[in-house]
Amino acid sequence: MIFDMHMHIEESTALGWQMSAADCIRAMDEAGVERSAVMTLTDLPGLNPQGLELIAEACERYRDRLYGFIRLNPAHLEASRQLLKQAITELGFKGLKLHPVSTLQHPGGAPTIDLIRLAGELGVPTLFHCGDEPLSTPLSIAQAAAACPDAIIILGHMGGYFHVDEALDVAERFPNIILETSAMPYPDKIRTAVERIGAERVVFGSDGPVSSPALEKQKVIISSLGDEAAGLVLGGNAETLLRLAA
Amino acid sequence: MTIIDGLVFLGSSHFGYELDAAAAFTGMDAVGTEMAVAVPMHPHRGDFAAANDGVAQAAEKSGGRLMPLCRVDPWEGEAAVAEVRRAVREGARGVFLHPSEERFRINDMLVRPVVEAAAELGTPVMVAAGYHLFAEPLQLGAAAQWTPDNTFVLTNGGQFNISGLSGFDAELALGNDNVHVHTTAMYREDFLEGVVAKFGPERLLFASAAPLFTMQYERLRVDLAHFSEAETELILGGNTARIFGEVSK
Repeated sequence: MIFDMHMHIEESTALGWQMSAADCIRAMDEAGVERSAVMTLTDLPGLNPQGLELIAEACERYRDRLYGFIRLNPAHLEASRQLLKQAITELGFKGLKLHPVSTLQHPGGAPTIDLIRLAGELGVPTLFHCGDEPLSTPLSIAQAAAACPDAIIILGHMGGYFHVDEALDVAERFPNIILETSAMPYPDKIRTAVERIGAERVVFGSDGPVSSPALEKQKVIISSLGDEAAGLVLGGNAETLLRLAA
Repeated sequence: MTIIDGLVFLGSSHFGYELDAAAAFTGMDAVGTEMAVAVPMHPHRGDFAAANDGVAQAAEKSGGRLMPLCRVDPWEGEAAVAEVRRAVREGARGVFLHPSEERFRINDMLVRPVVEAAAELGTPVMVAAGYHLFAEPLQLGAAAQWTPDNTFVLTNGGQFNISGLSGFDAELALGNDNVHVHTTAMYREDFLEGVVAKFGPERLLFASAAPLFTMQYERLRVDLAHFSEAETELILGGNTARIFGEVSK
């Protein structure tokens, strides 16, 4: 089973962003990806007030193929706490997504740590945008990993273009960090990650459908991990992490 | 169709990476690339003339597989312009500028004499793009406007941003008719396809920028995108051949 840990659905008229569940399914089918985690491009509460319903409806429509992550703004802490509880306990969402560049919330800030801990208590991981911009670098997110040792933190893009080596360093330091492979352009760094922190802590993602799940899957394949490790990275780990039925 | 990699770096870089012609050919053969545009790395001790000569010699021995560009440091002022003239006279097919590694802002007036010399010689300019402070998309667009009739090729889609937030400015840079972009490391497939849809297939060039990036993976970036056969032919080689000129084998 191949699982894409990072895909987007959005209908934000304010931003002109339109990515449908059908777009995701089409890209997944083209790539031979069975299941995906899906999330909005905007944060709740915020620009797209219907974001929760949008993801919930997509997951309902494509049951057993799409799994919701709720994207929240920790600055609105009480509202975000309620939305997170609702998403996980009532709607079956599988994770929390945080994008510090859009929320301007430092990963080590008290509201962010509060939400990550709540996600951990609810039994779901937190996927961070982790790239080259301030607020999103591996060293910034490491502050959260240190403060929340019982919560799983996934570094989406595993450091982007210029911070991949730092992502590897912080993943070595903090066992609650998992690296996600989308968008960063170095196949050999996936192999390095498996060698340094183990195949159990690396997961495939695409950042689709605007980036290509087919191409991103090939990045994992040409990193030459071997069948067992590749199986874990491409889907086995997601199955365990998100407690999916096989 | 002749497949041409729009950029490989040759030599040994001050910044710790290296690739020689033999290794480049091995990689190119493995993915079916016949030719490549070859650019010197930032040389040890800053000897750009020697680095240019090294790439020129590799090209001469390559049986037509390598098209050499010269690389200069605009901080060297008149000497940089003189080196452009010398290298082009001796066969360089264009001028390569790396604002980040040579520490200049691409739209600083310091750079203008080099860009204008290239235009005067009728040879295109390629710029290592996307580096914050030194080569942001709109800075690149501004520099391209100095010589609107001369081709400007920007590496990696004219940007480096893992949130996709530079795409807007990169499209504004492409509003200059002389600006072209490489496919390298551009993770947004919709951006690459958008370049073709909005600006035409003549504006997008396949490149690997090896050894910084991986020849096999960068080739897949084009192969798996949704381009027509005619578009793919231009992107994988036709555009680079038109801009930098194929040499006879």
